[in-house]
Amino acid sequence: MSERVRVVVDQSVCVGIGQCEMLEPDVFFINDDAFATVVDGATLELAAAQLVVERCPSGAISIVSDDDDPAADDSPGS
Amino acid sequence: MADVSTDPVFDLTTPAIYERGIPYDTMAEMRAQPGLVWHPYEGNGFWAVTRHADVKAVSTDSATFSSGIGHTNLWDLEADALEARRSIIDTDAPDHTRLRRLVSKAFTPRNIVVWEDTTRAIARELIEEFVADGGGDWVDKVAAPLPIRVILTILGVPVEDADYLVELSNYLVEGTGDRPSLAPDAFGNTTELRLLPFGSPASHALYEYGEQLGVERRLEPKDDIVTMLVLAEHEGDRLSHSEYRNLFHVLVFAGNETTRTAITHGAMAFAQFPDQLRRLREHPELMDRAVEEVLRWATPVLHMRRTAAVDTELAGTPIKAGDKVVMWYSSANRDPEVFADPFVFDIGRDPNPHFAFGGGGSHFCLGAFLARMEIRVLLEELVAAGVDLVPGGDSVRAPSNFVHGVLSVELGVAS
Repeated sequence: MSERVRVVVDQSVCVGIGQCEMLEPDVFFINDDAFATVVDGATLELAAAQLVVERCPSGAISIVSDDDDPAADDSPGS
Repeated sequence: MADVSTDPVFDLTTPAIYERGIPYDTMAEMRAQPGLVWHPYEGNGFWAVTRHADVKAVSTDSATFSSGIGHTNLWDLEADALEARRSIIDTDAPDHTRLRRLVSKAFTPRNIVVWEDTTRAIARELIEEFVADGGGDWVDKVAAPLPIRVILTILGVPVEDADYLVELSNYLVEGTGDRPSLAPDAFGNTTELRLLPFGSPASHALYEYGEQLGVERRLEPKDDIVTMLVLAEHEGDRLSHSEYRNLFHVLVFAGNETTRTAITHGAMAFAQFPDQLRRLREHPELMDRAVEEVLRWATPVLHMRRTAAVDTELAGTPIKAGDKVVMWYSSANRDPEVFADPFVFDIGRDPNPHFAFGGGGSHFCLGAFLARMEIRVLLEELVAAGVDLVPGGDSVRAPSNFVHGVLSVELGVAS
């Protein structure tokens, strides 16, 4: 089974172009303030996520690895 | 005899050479040079960026390569002219981010879908007439009317004014060449031409029209973009007078001229490579790729300029702060390092990382999804009509080093 990953949008860089919404309409939408937003809990197959990252003209999207998953940040020493 | 420089001299800027088509051979020679090529221009010059990878590097680093210092066309502007003409295109963050967010919502994929039925009705009518006439001037009959009718609908311009705005837009294109035909006082213009976009009195007329429409929409709001622009307000901030009229100008010009050019070169390519239209009829699943290939093939905007904000380096060439750096999209989109057989029109091409909407970064074409939708709908209607396009005579190309304009092209139809 292929790996599924989460993605995040850096809203300080995003200008709401919508390339992500075109490629993955079930995962991204441009909100009323013209920021790309990730649907809660949505994940993508790794290859699809890499394509979205590569195609974002603003370079605003990144893949969240488990290492920097905020939910895992509670562990001591992180 | 004076010393002759051994550096080859290339010419990408004389408008008249574009009447014979894009100088692809010159661009190929420039891509093969080490580093960047210094291209003389109006007593000074610019760094010509012709390789795909280098265009991307410039386009995605707007902190180093500014749109707001100077402007994004080749020539220099005096400070007052720069301010008067400054649009969203000639702006850096944070001003650019603010303007972009005001309009970008209207042009996202989800919001563009809303206009698909309108676009299809127009496209079907135009194709049916073209086929019934047995062909004709594709620009006049199909490529020009479709995008202008769509963008004017979205903006909220009444349909009876469409012909007037097409006329103005045509004069603007002419302003990018070297043989403008309008008198400086045309359309009642009293503004110095250097203060107007493209140095054209038609820009004055477009400003005036946009302002009048804005006044009407402020009094009586409608569900259109002009209403959205005049009412847009965020934390007490709104568009200034100059921002509004330059944004209106950009939306009309860019929403019209560039898509027209893409549709025209697309049709010419299908006439030149008839197997590709048959292939699309047999394999409609290739539609999205076909749209991207039309965009790569057409590359409606030939270049955009940036200005170095700091001393920097690209492809081993040192660049000084203040130097002009010009990205040649037409060259990048034929770069064999990225595109196998770049001069073959292949509707199945994949991947197709073309720069028809720019080389990436925050200035990525605002109308990209609108343009894609218009091209797709038109191709779907062409496929549905079940005819082939055939070359019908010479095309007349615009003498412009900025847009890949075609003024007219005769095409025939065959069953």
